[in-house]
Amino acid sequence: MKIRSVVFGVILLCLTFAVCGCGSENDRLSKNELVYASTKDIRDINPHLYGGEMAAQAMVFEPLVYDTKDGIKPGLAESWEVSADGLSYTFHIRQGVKFTDGEDVNAEAIKLNIDAVCKNKERHAWLDMVNQIDHGEVMDAYTYRLVLKKPYYPTLKELALSRPFRMISPKCFKDGDTKNGVNGYAGTGPYILTEHKDKQYAIFTKNKDYWGDKAKIETIKWQVMPDPQTILLALKKGEIDLLFGADGDMIDLDSFTALQKEGKYAAMLSEPVASRAILINAHRPISSDRQVREAFQYVVNKEGIANGVLNGTETVADTLLSPTVPYCNVPLERRIYDLEKAKQLLDTAGWSMNEDGYRYKNGKKMLVTLYFNSNNAQERTISEYIQSDMKAAGIELKIIGEEKQAFLDRQKNGDFDLQYSLSWGTPYDPQSYLSSWRIPAHGDYQAQLGLEKKKWLDDEIGLTLVEPDKDKRQSRYNEILTYIHQECVYLPLTYSRTKAVYTPKLKGVGFNLSQYEIPFEKMYFEK
Amino acid sequence: MMVAERWFMRNYMIKRIIWILPMLVGISFFAFVLITLSPSDPAEVALRVNEIVPTPEAIVSMREHLGLDKPFFTRYVEWILAVIQGDFGNSYVNNKPVFQEFMMALPATLYLSVVALIFIIFVSVPIGVLCAVYEGSIGDIFVRAFIFLATAMPSFWVGLLLIWLFSVQWGLVPTSGMQASNSVILPSFILAQTYIATYIRLIRNNMIENKQKNYVLYAKARGLKKRIIYKHIFRNSLTEVLTALGMSIPKLIAGSVIVENIFAWPGVGRLCVSAIFNRDFPIIQAYVLMMAVLFVVCNLIVDIYSALLDPRLRQAE
Repeated sequence: MKIRSVVFGVILLCLTFAVCGCGSENDRLSKNELVYASTKDIRDINPHLYGGEMAAQAMVFEPLVYDTKDGIKPGLAESWEVSADGLSYTFHIRQGVKFTDGEDVNAEAIKLNIDAVCKNKERHAWLDMVNQIDHGEVMDAYTYRLVLKKPYYPTLKELALSRPFRMISPKCFKDGDTKNGVNGYAGTGPYILTEHKDKQYAIFTKNKDYWGDKAKIETIKWQVMPDPQTILLALKKGEIDLLFGADGDMIDLDSFTALQKEGKYAAMLSEPVASRAILINAHRPISSDRQVREAFQYVVNKEGIANGVLNGTETVADTLLSPTVPYCNVPLERRIYDLEKAKQLLDTAGWSMNEDGYRYKNGKKMLVTLYFNSNNAQERTISEYIQSDMKAAGIELKIIGEEKQAFLDRQKNGDFDLQYSLSWGTPYDPQSYLSSWRIPAHGDYQAQLGLEKKKWLDDEIGLTLVEPDKDKRQSRYNEILTYIHQECVYLPLTYSRTKAVYTPKLKGVGFNLSQYEIPFEKMYFEK
Repeated sequence: MMVAERWFMRNYMIKRIIWILPMLVGISFFAFVLITLSPSDPAEVALRVNEIVPTPEAIVSMREHLGLDKPFFTRYVEWILAVIQGDFGNSYVNNKPVFQEFMMALPATLYLSVVALIFIIFVSVPIGVLCAVYEGSIGDIFVRAFIFLATAMPSFWVGLLLIWLFSVQWGLVPTSGMQASNSVILPSFILAQTYIATYIRLIRNNMIENKQKNYVLYAKARGLKKRIIYKHIFRNSLTEVLTALGMSIPKLIAGSVIVENIFAWPGVGRLCVSAIFNRDFPIIQAYVLMMAVLFVVCNLIVDIYSALLDPRLRQAE
């Protein structure tokens, strides 16, 4: 009798569980809530550090100026002037704007924010801007002046990035600083972070006092789902409304194409945002020969990768940076798939074909290794594709997938022949991306070490970033990009795009200049 | 229990508890050494997870900050002394105390494991008993085929299939997360799935074995009712099952890694996986150590319990 009642109790409990807690999609829509699924939690969204998700940081915190397709636009600064020598930037702060904790946004608050970033220089070593700032001055209550050491031309562009130059209420500072964390997340952006359950979800509520165009959707729920397969199932069930991602992180291309074909969801691709390439290490025995590196350029059938592997969602890259990237419309020789030419180049370089179908030089086999991030299915498929192309030219390509951290270790040590590489994308290309080539911890630096003019290249990049004259700057960029192209250190494959998949009821979906931001404030549900 | 037996039990327990100490030292040493063996430099990892460019100067200052410049044994002793006081250090990623991170994640995993345990007991006991009673019937053959399949199917695959069926198709439960009250059902069932198969087989086989024993024959000769006889058979088959179940509890807690990832369950399994991907060494160390301690403690309890229950084990000692 006892057992029976326990069994009955358990069944009853299960039924209760099953009946309650199933919130329907309609409930959600009537509440005007958008659910966005991400494999990652938002974590700590302190805008001056890098621990949080950029998209979340950009929803809550705003910069002085915005970088858009139509150029730099006002943000918290209503207007600005640049001195003739390019050394001082005077910003007129928008009056009447308040942080969501009630603090006034004024020149003093801006100064405190920029000073807090500059106090933590070592964390921002990737961003040359931080090194270029000499000091900031409060001119009057709503005028702030930023003084630079050199006329660093990307100043406005880098002030507009999703981090670190975004403004947080000085009340949130810990001991007058932000580098050791913050006490709250009061910003001025279109959304306010109102709830965060670690590793589960975050709720962003519309900022009703926003100074600009107010967001249309009341709340955004950032739902954490570590497994991309679960995300797809949740989308099918209608639990989530939006998937948004750049590099196969949230959604792989096969699933993207399948969802597109299914017709139940809307799918959208951004303009090309970044460059997918293979980094060829010029500091290694086989690939130190420029002719070999050039041969690699003709071996790989990029059309095949763009259409076969990437289902036509990406366009073939002829140059490392797309001509649409600022300063990158440089006339460079186009290298199209040409197996015969590749074979010729390898023959001239002294690598002759053996009976076993591989090339040898002084008894040494032509064996190179390509490393990629094992978590990225797309990179694996592309690597396998390259492997078969290389085989046709008599090159043995070993492909090794590694965990992200191991991959980065290898990058830093320069312990690779070929490595999968992705540029930083807009708005970081070309200035921040090229600037990073000078840092030894980056694979680019290691691969370029074998170049005869590496020192010149690094110096030239430094000079370009502080060249005040636009034409001279352009000619410096021409020299850099031409040199890199001629030296064949990169094998450009395709230009990648950001992908969005969403329920058709959701309208206003689009892309910001940065692939890491999601313009939630422009989205709305069709009534 | 006789006086001699009680004395023996006390000695046995003391001996077992004393043995735990060297084991724990060994485990802690192993957990500590693991990190030293890793090809990545912890100082560099700590910099990189915070997106700080690992310049040689930054690495040196981080090594000092983390105390990595001290000799190996000094670091080990300092670590172990801190661990005894519940201080596992701070996470490289978010700088929060590791212990606090564990305490936040543990309730979710315990909840999942307890519900899984309920599933294991309430599914495997009745089915196991019925299979033994109706040994060789069609139902028994069917269940055995199911057991064969269930142990062979990987849990991530079954998990996704069941999400598709119960959540997407029938809309009975949410696909993942732990916000809704019924969201625990699927992940705990998946976690329990392989154990259910194991226990059905264990109960069934033990009962069938017991059925052949003499006491059953005598009971039958005495004309006892079938139900009463099976009750005795069931009781006598339980010892081994309970011992195995005791060891399954730590396995359930430590084995929730895959299930937690598929079902976005915010427990220690997910904490550990993200720590592995980020090379967040303090969390990995703490996870290895805590799980090892859990296994050792559960093993001890099970052993003592078996010794208490089965006089033959005591005599063998």
